[in-house]
Amino acid sequence: MPEPRLIDGRDMEPPEPLERAMAELAAMAPGDELVMLLRCEALPLYSLLERNGFGYTATLRPDGTNEVRIKKA
Amino acid sequence: MQPTLSFEQAPPISVPYRFFLTAPLFGAVAGLILAVLGPDTLQSRWSSGALAMTHLIVVDFMLQAMCGSLLQFVAVVAGANIWRPRLVAHIVHPLITAGAIFLASAFLLEQPVLFLVAAAVFVSALGFFLTVMAIALVRTPARGMSIHVLRVAVFGLLVTVALGATLALTLGLGDHLQTDWSLIALINVHVAWGLGGWALMLVIGVSYLVVPMFQLTPSYPVWLTRALPAGLFLVLCLWSLQLFAPDATSQKWQTGVGLAGVAIAALYAVTTLWLQAKRRRRMSDPTFIYWRIAMLSLIAFAVSWVVFEALPQLGGNLRAPIWLGVLVIPGLFLSVITGMLYKIMPFLNWLHLQQQGGTPETQPNMKQMIPENAMRGQMRMHLAALVLLLAAVLWPALAIPAGLAFSASCLWLEWNLVGAARLYARYRDRIRAGLIGCAGSAGEK
Repeated sequence: MPEPRLIDGRDMEPPEPLERAMAELAAMAPGDELVMLLRCEALPLYSLLERNGFGYTATLRPDGTNEVRIKKA
Repeated sequence: MQPTLSFEQAPPISVPYRFFLTAPLFGAVAGLILAVLGPDTLQSRWSSGALAMTHLIVVDFMLQAMCGSLLQFVAVVAGANIWRPRLVAHIVHPLITAGAIFLASAFLLEQPVLFLVAAAVFVSALGFFLTVMAIALVRTPARGMSIHVLRVAVFGLLVTVALGATLALTLGLGDHLQTDWSLIALINVHVAWGLGGWALMLVIGVSYLVVPMFQLTPSYPVWLTRALPAGLFLVLCLWSLQLFAPDATSQKWQTGVGLAGVAIAALYAVTTLWLQAKRRRRMSDPTFIYWRIAMLSLIAFAVSWVVFEALPQLGGNLRAPIWLGVLVIPGLFLSVITGMLYKIMPFLNWLHLQQQGGTPETQPNMKQMIPENAMRGQMRMHLAALVLLLAAVLWPALAIPAGLAFSASCLWLEWNLVGAARLYARYRDRIRAGLIGCAGSAGEK
């Protein structure tokens, strides 16, 4: 099982996390996983994922970080 | 507080851009009015030139930019459905523009009928705008202090327009209109709701989201996000009592309420500077510096207010209100608006190009939308204009260079914003041409 790729977007200015996510998503193979750490709930990312057939779960950590785990089906 | 962005609801790019691209032009006209009319304009807040300039800036610059931003912000951040945003912009934008021209002309030409025309145009335009925004803000499923503060700000605009229309009718009809309200009390309350209940409330509500998000600062303390708008609203209500119970609101009582208001404003400014100092990344882009200029201007405004109250011989000078006005209008509000336009327009360019099918290879990134040097140059000009305007209050002979500098700063801003809009159009056309080319090639196979 390969290690999931990680984008820590907590100290990035919008839309950098989204730009990086798009570059990663384009390179993902089926079964690959991408983890994003964000300070906001990224609704544009969710709609992008849904439109392109990616599955995801979003969890709010106690420190306020939004952890988004993305999988390519 | 968990900020939420929902780009699915974003209105067409032309909706906010038509407001943004008009706004600085009227700032430039206001600067030219000061340069042409010269030192007499700054002798008193009641001079026709000062009144015309002020309304051109607060309505045609500030209100245009704020309406455009609100249409965008409410849809994207609150996820609210704005009823036919393109139609709303088509109706509201030209009417606000025309209304401000009528109002400024009414002051300059001292033509009562123009006040009546301006009142009718503003009530129609802003009545429609406020109805659309109120419905969107009431129906939005979004929660959070920002949304609550935006609702209060929209109410603040409603009160400002109602009082402004009453003032315009009073000036237009003269003795034919009988009201129980004194003109001075009416003006005091109109100005307080316009600058405090609408403009500052909107800045506060927006800053809860954009300062942490774009400047990478910690969030505003939760207790403060509640206390600031509640305190400001309470102060505005108490300040408005001078309309309804003039006998009960002594001068000392009004002074106390005014001081409470400036204390709240200063607390907000100090907190924002404190958050900026604790930002996680040591970047100082033009938006960051513009916010800093704005907050320092707000603190200078609060300190000046206290000094003017403590030293009546100074506060009683006819030019004291102009000093306060320069600090709060170009100093605070135009700085925040310009700083935010330098963030909003690149962001919208990027977002809408993405939606057109752009990729990092086919479209510029956010930092390439407006050249950094151009923004910094314009910011220095704005700062120079602000210093010259303050100096001109002390030495009115400087009114002409101050007016020209302010005009130049607004024109430079216009140039930068038009450049961003043209860049968007160029890349949009390229992306579309590329997509058509791909479709054409696929079809030939």
